[in-house]
Amino acid sequence: MSFSQQKEDREIEEALVKDFQAGNVDAYDKIAELYQKRIYALSFNLMRNQMDAQDVVQEVLLTLFNKIHTFQGKSAFSSWVYRITLNSSYMKLRSKKKEPKISIDELLPSFNSAGFQQEKIQDWSENTESLLFTNETRGIINKAVDLLPEKEKVVFLLRDVEGLSTEKVSAVLDLTIPAVKSRLHRARLFLRKKLSGYFEEYNSQKGGT
Amino acid sequence: MICCKECIDLLYDYIEDLLDNETRKSLEEHFEECPPCIAFLNTYKSTTTICRETLNQIEIPDEVRHTLQSFMKENKDKQEKK
Repeated sequence: MSFSQQKEDREIEEALVKDFQAGNVDAYDKIAELYQKRIYALSFNLMRNQMDAQDVVQEVLLTLFNKIHTFQGKSAFSSWVYRITLNSSYMKLRSKKKEPKISIDELLPSFNSAGFQQEKIQDWSENTESLLFTNETRGIINKAVDLLPEKEKVVFLLRDVEGLSTEKVSAVLDLTIPAVKSRLHRARLFLRKKLSGYFEEYNSQKGGT
Repeated sequence: MICCKECIDLLYDYIEDLLDNETRKSLEEHFEECPPCIAFLNTYKSTTTICRETLNQIEIPDEVRHTLQSFMKENKDKQEKK
């Protein structure tokens, strides 16, 4: 999306929010239409459960409806929507509470005393195309993301999947920019490691490159 | 001369083009001499791309869309009655 397109979208959105705050219910419908896919995708990726994601979308839409007058426009409207979505998703996750404890540190790269990488690194980046849209690959990727600890997962989803800027992620999560960067980097390292096993095996089955 | 550990610590800023010239140059010098770090860089970038492409495919299923539509309508009707 180009910059001017983004700016235009933001202006349309701001006008809709103002209209809705003034009592125009059609503007609410448009806002809901604009956001429901993003709300659904984010909460689904966090919880991986269709019913739960549906519940979250309903809660968020209801909150938008009932609380729109409390939105003061100090931050972007979308940041506000993302925050409500995350809060609502976290409430659901807490009530289920089954967090598999996995240490991200174990999967970070390791180095010898001279600072060289200890494991053998294969470059599988050229060979993902044919695998990418198979169900098996999708399953592996979803599972890897699921295994991310919550703190890293949410940063990864907002920044790398939803495509928000680092600054916006820091505003939504109330984190410093260095904290966002460090969590994102750790998430990517973790996922790289998790996916490497799969893609390397595929590479070697093909006879290797 | 930077080592692999420093190289991987710098990857994020390298990809985002946030490094100062000098650091970027020494990182690129490291890449020239270290194929494993190039492989790491490529797979690090690929990881982001393939995860995005996979997780972005999520669409609202039809039955959820219908539920949401009636939910919106109910909500609106309630408001109009007030």
